[in-house]
Amino acid sequence: MKLLIIEDEISLNQSMVEFLSASGYLCESVLNFKDAVEKIEVYDYDCIVLDIMLPGGSGLQILQYLKENHKTDGVIIISAKDSLEDKINGIELGADDYLTKPFHLSELSVRVAAIIRRKKFNGQALITAGEIEVDTMGKSISIHHQNVELTQKEFQLLLFLIINKNKVISKNAIAEHLWGDDMDIASNFDFIYAHIKNLRKKIITAGGEDRIRSIYGVGYKMQLP
Amino acid sequence: MKLFTKYNRVNITATIFTFVLGSIAFYFVLDYVLTRQLKETLRSEQFEIIHYVEEHHTLPEIQNTRHQWITVERSSEVLPRPKFKNSNFYNEKEKENESIKQLLFSINVAGQNYLITVNKSEAETEDLLKLIILVTVGMIALILLFNYLINRNLINRLWQPFYKTIDEIKEYHVSNRQPLQLSKEPIDELDLLNESLNKMTQSIYKDYAALKSFTENASHEMQTPLAVIRSRIDLLLQQSELKEQSLQQILSIEDAAQRLSKLHQSLLLLTKIENKQFLLNESVNIKKIILEKIREREDLIESKQLKIETNCTDLTLFFHQHLAEILFNNLLNNSIKYTPVNGLIHIELTESFVSFSNDAMNGPLEEGRVFQRFYKPSDSGEGTGLGLAIIKEICHLAGFDIVYTFTGHQHIFKIRFNN
Repeated sequence: MKLLIIEDEISLNQSMVEFLSASGYLCESVLNFKDAVEKIEVYDYDCIVLDIMLPGGSGLQILQYLKENHKTDGVIIISAKDSLEDKINGIELGADDYLTKPFHLSELSVRVAAIIRRKKFNGQALITAGEIEVDTMGKSISIHHQNVELTQKEFQLLLFLIINKNKVISKNAIAEHLWGDDMDIASNFDFIYAHIKNLRKKIITAGGEDRIRSIYGVGYKMQLP
Repeated sequence: MKLFTKYNRVNITATIFTFVLGSIAFYFVLDYVLTRQLKETLRSEQFEIIHYVEEHHTLPEIQNTRHQWITVERSSEVLPRPKFKNSNFYNEKEKENESIKQLLFSINVAGQNYLITVNKSEAETEDLLKLIILVTVGMIALILLFNYLINRNLINRLWQPFYKTIDEIKEYHVSNRQPLQLSKEPIDELDLLNESLNKMTQSIYKDYAALKSFTENASHEMQTPLAVIRSRIDLLLQQSELKEQSLQQILSIEDAAQRLSKLHQSLLLLTKIENKQFLLNESVNIKKIILEKIREREDLIESKQLKIETNCTDLTLFFHQHLAEILFNNLLNNSIKYTPVNGLIHIELTESFVSFSNDAMNGPLEEGRVFQRFYKPSDSGEGTGLGLAIIKEICHLAGFDIVYTFTGHQHIFKIRFNN
């Protein structure tokens, strides 16, 4: 899977490249508008991570260019502007998703994965993690080909951990992914633990192996080969 | 009071005052002129008689008219000089008292002294005076009437463009994304007004756009370094060789960065609300939002074993979807945060108000300061201190009234919609 990261802040750009590369993506990165246009003209990407404010031009112009040239690259906008207009403009110009800075890299990763699934497999992708098989379209999982009933939150949590497999995911990141960032939950992560506990129980009961590691005080990690 | 009414009031008062003063003066001048003329007539009569006596040494034959007559009587008394006198005379024909003017003088005819009185009725003069005054008063009335009519029609027409301009200003909002474009007017003053307003809104719009882009750029400049911090922390967490102590430190950095980001977003939101960058032109289903927000927080509510009672009627308001969500987010967040474990939250929505009450952990909040920015009661933990300030600003923008009360060991926030 090939990604293009377009972000002018070098440090942030490097972080994204490092994290997404470790997740198995082939990442290319550019720091300005001109280089970005040159890249898209020549190559096709599965997903483009696009900053709006760029030296030399606007990310929206890049969207325009993709649209005019009938390119089918998936695009996720990352912008510091939490303004509705920008969001609407971006989506209207064909962006697939919009992520407001600052964000967790694990969140970016899961959104990129979703875009690629939608674009490449029409959302029909089955993801396997050990003996667990996740149907992202039907929002269900099966272990050893046996269907396992999960609540919506448990499903979201499991998918989040699987997409970010072998990565330490902080409780903050999990809370933000599951409940959004307009909830005041910073001081209370008990219910994340409750969901993890239920998830583990269901996986073990279905004969699966518990691969969720607790990293004390920090968060969780899905250990997969 | 309308400008026209005010103007008319002053104008008519001044006109009447001037005309009354003028008329009085006019009356006296006219009276003086006519009296002098009368005296002149009497005197010329006197001269005629004297002249006749000098020539013929006898008194002339006297011809009296209805308005002028002469009486002659022998008298031993000699007037040193002619004397004017006012007197009354009863006119039998017209059956009324007439005032007359008399000229008395002595004359010697062949050794005999006579006292001659020339009488002239003032009736004619008075009639003339009356007529003139009548015509004057009539004219004044006519002038006033025409003045009023002309003013009313003309001024109403002249002010029409002014009212048009006022209507356009009323409709204008700087977030409409363009300055006012008022038309050119043939009247200089109105044209000046329109031109000045156009210029003013142009500069206001420019300032507004600058402010808007400043807040947006400031947001960009702030959030980008925060994004760097967060992404670097996410990467740091992946390093397996880190000790637990280091991890804890990294996480507290992350918490701080997150709080900074939230704080900044909240301040930005407050600025945007104050700049009226949100137009309240969407119909928003309030009940739906409240129930949705509660549903989103099920886990949170369950983990604190809170009881939530809702009593909501269907209510749709002209509002802003995003702002409404923020409003009820903040209200609900506060209620959940400050209710003790096993506590009760009661939410009531009616046509005219919405109220959030929840069991209190401690005593009442300071009523006067509760909506101030960065107000934090001692038990508030690590909130931004802006949640209630944002609630207040949103209510203010929408024209709602929000009141905080503390009764029955419950915090109650009540918003009246004033619809």
